[in-house]
Amino acid sequence: MNKSWLENLIAGSYALALHIIVVLLLFLGVDSESTTVTVPAAIDIVQATVMGEQQVLDDIAQRKERFEEKKVEEDARLAALEKKVAADKATLEQEALERENEKLRAEKDKQRLVELEQQKKAAEKQQQEVDAKRKLEVEQQRIAEAEKAAELRQKKIEQEKQRKVEQKRQAAEEKKAAELKQKKQDAEKNRKAEEAKRLKAEKERQVAEEKKRIALEKQRLADEDKRKREEANRLLQDSLAVEEREREESRITGVVNQHMGMIRQRIKRYWSEPTNAGQGLQCTLRVSLLPNGDVKKVSIVKSSGNAIFDRSAESAVYKAAPWPQPRDPKAAAALRDFQFIFRPK
Amino acid sequence: MIKQGYALILLLAMLLAGPAYAELIIEITGGSEAALPIAVVPFGSEGVAAAEDVSAIIRNDLGRSGRFAPLPQQDLISMPHQKSEINFKDWRLLRSEGLLVGKVSSVDGQTYQVQFQLFDVYKAQQLVGKRYQVPAASLRHVAHQISDQIYQALTGEQGVFSTRLAFVSVLKNAGGSRRYALQVSDADGANPRTVLQSKQPILSPSWSPEGERLSYVSFENGRAEIFTQAMRSGKRTSVASFKGINSAPSWSPDGKKLSMTLSKGGNAEIYVMDIATKALSRVTHSSQAIDTEAVWMPNSKALVFTSDRGGRPQIYKVPVSGGRAERLTFEGHYNASPDISPDGRYLAMVHGQNGKFYIAVQDLKSGAVQILSEAGQGESPSFAPNGRLILYATEQNGKGILAAVSVDGSFHQRLGDTGIDVREPAWSPIRK
Repeated sequence: MNKSWLENLIAGSYALALHIIVVLLLFLGVDSESTTVTVPAAIDIVQATVMGEQQVLDDIAQRKERFEEKKVEEDARLAALEKKVAADKATLEQEALERENEKLRAEKDKQRLVELEQQKKAAEKQQQEVDAKRKLEVEQQRIAEAEKAAELRQKKIEQEKQRKVEQKRQAAEEKKAAELKQKKQDAEKNRKAEEAKRLKAEKERQVAEEKKRIALEKQRLADEDKRKREEANRLLQDSLAVEEREREESRITGVVNQHMGMIRQRIKRYWSEPTNAGQGLQCTLRVSLLPNGDVKKVSIVKSSGNAIFDRSAESAVYKAAPWPQPRDPKAAAALRDFQFIFRPK
Repeated sequence: MIKQGYALILLLAMLLAGPAYAELIIEITGGSEAALPIAVVPFGSEGVAAAEDVSAIIRNDLGRSGRFAPLPQQDLISMPHQKSEINFKDWRLLRSEGLLVGKVSSVDGQTYQVQFQLFDVYKAQQLVGKRYQVPAASLRHVAHQISDQIYQALTGEQGVFSTRLAFVSVLKNAGGSRRYALQVSDADGANPRTVLQSKQPILSPSWSPEGERLSYVSFENGRAEIFTQAMRSGKRTSVASFKGINSAPSWSPDGKKLSMTLSKGGNAEIYVMDIATKALSRVTHSSQAIDTEAVWMPNSKALVFTSDRGGRPQIYKVPVSGGRAERLTFEGHYNASPDISPDGRYLAMVHGQNGKFYIAVQDLKSGAVQILSEAGQGESPSFAPNGRLILYATEQNGKGILAAVSVDGSFHQRLGDTGIDVREPAWSPIRK
């Protein structure tokens, strides 16, 4: 391809050079007609005319042939005798080469044309490919966009769905909240109703209790009144009882005192006081009697310090038994436990 | 109103409750002077019967002391001889102060075993109990010793049952002549032994403080003469045979001196003789009056004697060292024959009042005189060594007898009434 491009470029340069020469020739032709200047020119001024490619080529070939003929003629003139063979030969070789070149050039051109054609085709193909690619890309883009759109759509649908779900959830929650609220409201309502009911009941109860209390208070006052009356009555009875008890008490005291005298007489009779008992001796005994007057226990509370004196006192308590008991049980109980203090005469 | 009512009820309750809680206290000052009832159960006898009834001797001893009233034998509800046989509950009903049981046993009739136990029936406790082994001849003595033990256990004082009495017996012979015997008996008058016989009068026996010697006045030599005689050996010593009166000997509490009445100076005066040296010291100087019958105060510092220095016989006290005599008796027209209780508190005497004679006792502290005997011929009062009884001589049916009276006059008894005319008694000291 590169070679081809280079060849193209070279070919192109030639072509361009030809064009420029043609143009110049044209320009000069115009001017030559007006002014004719004879200048030694390496190149024949050529009247250029715009031709077609084939024309150009033909023209070129013609010109060439003329030029060659001139040249040959010149050459043949310049080198006519010596170089006629070489020249002819070179010319022939040249010509063969030229022809080869030509051939090559034609081939090259042909190649170049093919290449151009190919290039064209390639370009076209390339264009087509580009187009196709672009188309494909566009298509792909389109598809992508479509997909994206679809995706977006899907997404949107999803979102929508989600939104709907969310909405639904919210709705459910709202519903739930509403229900809860309702429930709460209901409960509150119930509670309030209950409270009201309770308050009502309470009030009723209070009222009832108050009524009851009042009734009880009334009863209590009545009872109190009754109790007071009874108390007063009882106190009257009590004071009578008090008097009775006082009488009884003094009676018992009298019996006890009388009996103590008897006890004193009896113990003195039974106490064989030791005759040698020193003055100041004193023996205290605690005596417990049985209900029948027998001695339950005699214990020395405080000894006289004289064993015989103590024993005489203890023995006296036993000897005096059975102790006469008052008939009155209270007096007898009072005389069941007592103390004796024995002192010598 | 209501409060007051409750207060009143409360007060009443307290009053009613009072007697149940406050213990009555009954004060007794002085009991019965009556003798202590005691149950003396006849002792059991095992083996050869004893010649002496030991328990009977004890019962008599106790009874004669005036301090005990042995229960009549028919009242004894059972005859226990040792504790295991005693039903104390039953014995309590007898109201005895003590219950004596015992046993006398002998295998051969020569030696006897005597045991006794004294019980407090109320506490069911043995108060005293002992066992003796003695020859048959000493059974009576053992009985008296047991009596002493019982007396001591129940009264806290020493018994005098083992002491002796000295007295003079006047025996009339068939021909009408008299014989005099100085005799010594047990304290109950039993078991008299003659220590001296004489056809002439014997007077004024006096015990030495340890109870081993007697002094007396004997007319065996035709006039009054003072002798001392040892009880065991029978050895006699004439200690005073001065011209005139030699009479009324009395041992000093330490046994080293004798007081006596001598008229060797012309007038009957009180002298003190040192027995060992026979040295005399004159105590009284009454010149005109008769001073006689001196006895020693327990503290040995003074003598108590009879004197008519006031016109009629009265009792005086004079320091042994001599000095001014102090008159002790002021009641009655006649007070003579003094004896002083072992504790020095009481003066026993023959007391003449309104022409009658009595045995009386004067409290030397208070000066109070108490007549103890019936009016009669009481003479020679002598205190028992425990001071509880006064032994004296009196007359019954024209014969002299011995009698004893308790110091408080509550108890009288006659001793050893053997039909023999006895006089001039003297109660021995407790043998140390």
